[in-house]
Amino acid sequence: MLDGLPILSLIVFTPLIGAVLLAFVPGTAHRAIRWIALLTALITFGFSVTLLGYDPAGAEFQFREDVPWIEAFGMRYTLGVDGMSAVLILLTTVLSAVAIFYSWEPIATRVKEYYVALLLLMVGMLGVFAALDLFLFYVMGEVMLVPMYYIIGIWGGERRLYASLKCFIYTFVGSLLMLVAILAVAIAHGNETGTFTFAYEALRGFAYADALQALAFVAFFLAFAIKVPMWPFHTWLPDAHVEAPTAGSIILAGVLLKLGGYGFLRFSIPLLPDAAVTFAPIIIGLALVAIIYGGLVAMVQPDMKKLVAYSSVSHMGFVMLGAFVFNEQGLQGAIYQMISHGVTTGALFLLVGVIYEQTHDRQIAHMGGLNARVPGFAAMFGLFTFASIGLPGLSGFVGEFLVILGAFRYNGFVAAATMIVVIISAVYMLWMFQRAFFTVPSDWMGQHWAKLRDMNRNEWIALSPLIVLVVALGVYPAPVLELLAAPVDRIIQAVTDSGMTGLGPLW
Amino acid sequence: MDYVDDLVTLLPELILVALALVIITVDLFLPRRHKWLLTPLTVGGLILAGAACVVVWGVNDTVYSGFYVVDDLSVFFKGATIVIGILSTMFAPSYLLTRRIPLGEFNTILVTALIGMCVLASSADLVTLFLGLELMTMPSYLLAGLHKTDRYSNEGGLKYFLLGSFASAILLFGIAWMYGLTGTTNIDELAAVLGGGLSPALLVAVGFLTVGGTFKIAAVPFHFWTPDAYQGAPTPITGFLSVGPKLGAFALLVRVFADALAPLASEWLGVFLVLTVLTMTVGNIVALTQVNVKRMLAYSSIAHTGYIMAGLAAYAAADSQEVAAQGIESILFYVLGYGVMNIAAFAVVGMLQRDTRRYGGLNSFAGLAGRAPLHAAAMAILMLSLTGIPPTVGFFAKLYVLLASVDAGLEWLAVIIVLNAALAAFYYLRVIVYMYMRDPETDPAELDRSPIETIALVTSVVGVLALGIFPGAVLALLEVSAASLF
Repeated sequence: MLDGLPILSLIVFTPLIGAVLLAFVPGTAHRAIRWIALLTALITFGFSVTLLGYDPAGAEFQFREDVPWIEAFGMRYTLGVDGMSAVLILLTTVLSAVAIFYSWEPIATRVKEYYVALLLLMVGMLGVFAALDLFLFYVMGEVMLVPMYYIIGIWGGERRLYASLKCFIYTFVGSLLMLVAILAVAIAHGNETGTFTFAYEALRGFAYADALQALAFVAFFLAFAIKVPMWPFHTWLPDAHVEAPTAGSIILAGVLLKLGGYGFLRFSIPLLPDAAVTFAPIIIGLALVAIIYGGLVAMVQPDMKKLVAYSSVSHMGFVMLGAFVFNEQGLQGAIYQMISHGVTTGALFLLVGVIYEQTHDRQIAHMGGLNARVPGFAAMFGLFTFASIGLPGLSGFVGEFLVILGAFRYNGFVAAATMIVVIISAVYMLWMFQRAFFTVPSDWMGQHWAKLRDMNRNEWIALSPLIVLVVALGVYPAPVLELLAAPVDRIIQAVTDSGMTGLGPLW
Repeated sequence: MDYVDDLVTLLPELILVALALVIITVDLFLPRRHKWLLTPLTVGGLILAGAACVVVWGVNDTVYSGFYVVDDLSVFFKGATIVIGILSTMFAPSYLLTRRIPLGEFNTILVTALIGMCVLASSADLVTLFLGLELMTMPSYLLAGLHKTDRYSNEGGLKYFLLGSFASAILLFGIAWMYGLTGTTNIDELAAVLGGGLSPALLVAVGFLTVGGTFKIAAVPFHFWTPDAYQGAPTPITGFLSVGPKLGAFALLVRVFADALAPLASEWLGVFLVLTVLTMTVGNIVALTQVNVKRMLAYSSIAHTGYIMAGLAAYAAADSQEVAAQGIESILFYVLGYGVMNIAAFAVVGMLQRDTRRYGGLNSFAGLAGRAPLHAAAMAILMLSLTGIPPTVGFFAKLYVLLASVDAGLEWLAVIIVLNAALAAFYYLRVIVYMYMRDPETDPAELDRSPIETIALVTSVVGVLALGIFPGAVLALLEVSAASLF
């Protein structure tokens, strides 16, 4: 039935159609606006489910679409997915639907603009994961930037202007440098072969000069490291998270950070394998710092949302570590960790949002004893806390375990250091959980005690897909790992083909 | 009888001349309340001239004893000139009529300046070139000072006139030296004679030409006249001044440096690289500190001049003709794209000056999204385009310059350009912050919603997006245009 349909274009541009439709709805018709946005997200999700029909034994990139775009420069509108991008697109559509549904009540001002921004954001995110043309990839990445800026800047907290600008400028600088690198790589390839193209498959596997590889890698690294974000480029993240509205945080943590990891795995390593091998030790070092530093800083955060934000720095460190040990376990673990982090952190931000909507406060010290008052909420918070720590049977465990396994094959000390950090993550998450849910309620909480309610129907509905995913991904990871096997093999192939010798002396 | 035949190739210019005369005449007989009719009249004439450009496209001939060249490059410049002219005309009437600035005179002077720009683009001889330049800048001085009762307008016009004449004199002096050294003012002959390095005397000549030329495009350190001239002029006119004479001046630079002085490209490259980097960086840094949007856009136009100059630098640094052509193409694309988006941006500032006591401060933009969603969205798209965010024409223009620079081996310049673009994001986004994220003032700036202006605004924004997403059509024209230089 779906044969011949440009399914990826449908996925990417359905939200755009929704956004255009919204533009014609009067701004006061909040109900209609919310329903249109939600239906758009659900339809997009429906389309994206068909990507599960990806055949791991078939061609590398499936559901391909390829149309000339700007022929003078060899830019093409090329879409296609492999196992990795298919899974990430699904994650995006699920989290977007959750974010849109969750925003039902919390967002009461400028509703129309809000949903238009969210839908445009979806276009960019989905486009990034589906693009197989480097230029298209860049454009989609930038398209995303503006709606995110609006979402934080308009519907954010007190310091939203500062946070949104910081987020924008950081990302913008990184991606602009990447643009120069993309041009340099495409031109080098074009000058050598005579065909000027930005096609990913053509640019991959080309032997670029060492100096170009080194510089281009640094530029790509900056762009993606800021998105991940890697220490020391992470400072925009806590600000952005704390100020963003809940749905913004869900998307930011759930999808936008994954773009960085995806960028490394899809572009940096396969395009510039020599440079990747050369820089791997440095990146692994930075990843270790991020894992440890993120964990330690998370431990001392008084603000619940900021704590989750710093835990993201730590968890994304795992992703980077897994990506650059260049073995099967590490890479599979890295991708799995991205997905799992998207689900758990998205859920945690949602839960923080639930309590924040009622008390307008996120200070852990202001909470306490919540378990007695809102048991359903507490149970869910507990579930995702454990998933975040990496309890076996929940999604976080699989990724972390695989990454540590990969790290062991790379270097025992690195693995040992990583293991210790797993304990730190247990410390900060459980300590927060304990302080917020089990101790005696604070005086401050006393004022709100009577008004506190457990999760309402909408919040349960919004959370339910994430509950299913966090358990399913933890109990039965095989189908996803199967999808990831081929992309991982290709990344390893790209690195081993380069001889693993790295760059020659540059100077 | 050649001279008569040659007239056909001048069709766009002739139509413009006729148009200017028609406007003056009609203006005499129009009662005050019908003055606005001059705008559709002018636009109609300009569209006719645009159609004439289509007729002379592909003619590629040198006429009038080698003084005038109608090649595709010049026709492209003329086309862009007319686009800019149409937008400038459409954005003006309401603003000018509110302030009792005579619309008939405005339209006539504007069309005269456009004629100058066309002549400039078509000059095959330094004498024609100077003639065109003066024909463009004289009306520009008048336009800047057109608001006679406003002292800022007077100040701006006077400054523009004094410094502009000074620059013209320097340029003319350079031309004289050139003639003295080579015995010719014909551009093709100059290109044939020059080469083989710089003698000290030639250095002086090239130096004068460089200073005069960069004065006209307002490159740092010859930019001091722009902010005052731009801020003082009536806002829609500022929109024109920031792109029209700039387009003309770039046509001049292309004719002089990429044609006459092409053999010396490796000699002047160094100076241009320094000026390019200085121009964009200084323009951006100063724009950062502005709280008046009009002034901010004036400084940012200096920064954009820097980006366009990078195209010329790429031309000079190129080691193959193909890459050199790319440099020229990037200039053409940038001036056209920048022309559309900047005029429209100034127009929005002008629309917010319906209350004549307003001077385009940032606070008049506060909360605009709530009051006028369409205008706010348009301005936001224009700001993003000026920042260089896809899918807008501003992004593609910047990309073109980057591509040309990287291709010419100037990767470091590309990096400086993108860092500057990031810097510029600060002040362009500030306008968006005011429009969307701040509450309106207690006495919010009244917005002009006249139909002609609104149509022009929507058209420009659609153009900005369309050229950003599908630049292919224009790219094909560019390739042909730039090819006529080689």
